[in-house]
Amino acid sequence: MNSHDLLPVHTGTVIEDDSLTLEQLCHACDVQTDWVISLVEESIIEPQGNEIHVWRFSGASLVRVRSALRLQRDLGLNLAGIALALDLMEELEKLRAQLKIVRHD
Amino acid sequence: MQYKDYYKIMGLSRNATQDEVKRAYRKLARKYHPDVSKEKGAEAKFKELGEAYEVLKDPEKRAAYDKLGSNWKAGEDFKPPPNWDEGFEFKGGGFPGGGAGVFSDFFEQLFGRAGFHTAGREQHGFHMRGQDSHAKIYINLEDSIRGATRNISLSSPEMDAQGYVQVKQRSLNIKIPKGIKPGQHIRLSGQGDPGSGGGKPGDLLLEIAFNPHPLYRISDTDIYLDVPVTPWEAALGSKIKVPTPEGNVDLKIPPNSRQGSKLRLKGRGLPAKIPGDFLVVLQIALPPANTDRAKAAYQKMQQELDFNPRLSLGV
Repeated sequence: MNSHDLLPVHTGTVIEDDSLTLEQLCHACDVQTDWVISLVEESIIEPQGNEIHVWRFSGASLVRVRSALRLQRDLGLNLAGIALALDLMEELEKLRAQLKIVRHD
Repeated sequence: MQYKDYYKIMGLSRNATQDEVKRAYRKLARKYHPDVSKEKGAEAKFKELGEAYEVLKDPEKRAAYDKLGSNWKAGEDFKPPPNWDEGFEFKGGGFPGGGAGVFSDFFEQLFGRAGFHTAGREQHGFHMRGQDSHAKIYINLEDSIRGATRNISLSSPEMDAQGYVQVKQRSLNIKIPKGIKPGQHIRLSGQGDPGSGGGKPGDLLLEIAFNPHPLYRISDTDIYLDVPVTPWEAALGSKIKVPTPEGNVDLKIPPNSRQGSKLRLKGRGLPAKIPGDFLVVLQIALPPANTDRAKAAYQKMQQELDFNPRLSLGV
């Protein structure tokens, strides 16, 4: 028996698609509401729902918002640049994943 | 403590202009940014770069660093000469370059840790909920198929009472729910940063990624497997055994199957509300012509079959 067995087991909840509120997303990423709204306006993240108070974000938005924050801070990108960089990187990820599936090695 | 050659890290000569420092930083930051780069060790390089830039972009810090002389080699054991920083005044300032990372001992020895003396969150209010923290964890495909309990270790920078950043290690046992997909998050309530002034602690958000599997490849909820078959199994049709994460299954190969054909086992992918599929990709394996009998078999095919695989090439 190793020491891990003595620790309690934590059961979390899975963040289902389109379940995060604007407030939860902002708190999770430690960013201002206004900034997240500007990300939505730039179509960097796309919530379900027409009005701000019913907006629901996916778990994937967590990753995009935090990437956006780092790209702005570290590389000085503006919102349009962030949108382009994130879209291209997502495309690259998809192609890499497809390549893995078709490559026979 | 090891000497760090900030000029070498940034690929600059010692007489580089401030503009050249900035341009070199921009270029290398794009190359090694952890969100952009898939290169191994990119994150470490990016941190190192941030630290080098922090010093070289600031004329005061750069002058102080230059005063150490150019005879040091990167990695060499280093002790700052006494009073080396006499006459220099460092204005705290933020630490934008390297993000929230902790700088090297070398940097801290020279320039102190002033930058980490942040005001703290107490200013915002008496009851402040702690921040949510984030981590990425790698699990095996089988953990998602069957559900599992995994031990993970997390290291997080935490501010001590004096305002210094310490890297803390902790270990957690967590339940991996059945059917979790790469890119999904698990929220562990109250496992994030502690709150202040009696505020609730934040949550820990774990992003799920899968370790590469020796057999299977995952795409969303589908699982792919390359399965070698003989030419006659593919041509005549057959029934073969195929390993899936939930055990072997019998698979019928239809006659005249081709190289790369995909056969779908519905619902045998990752478990979910709408479970994914298991896709078998046929790989036709040729038996070697290494005996007289094997050669004769190939010659027989040559005589009997009128087959030109290069028809579409026009030759």
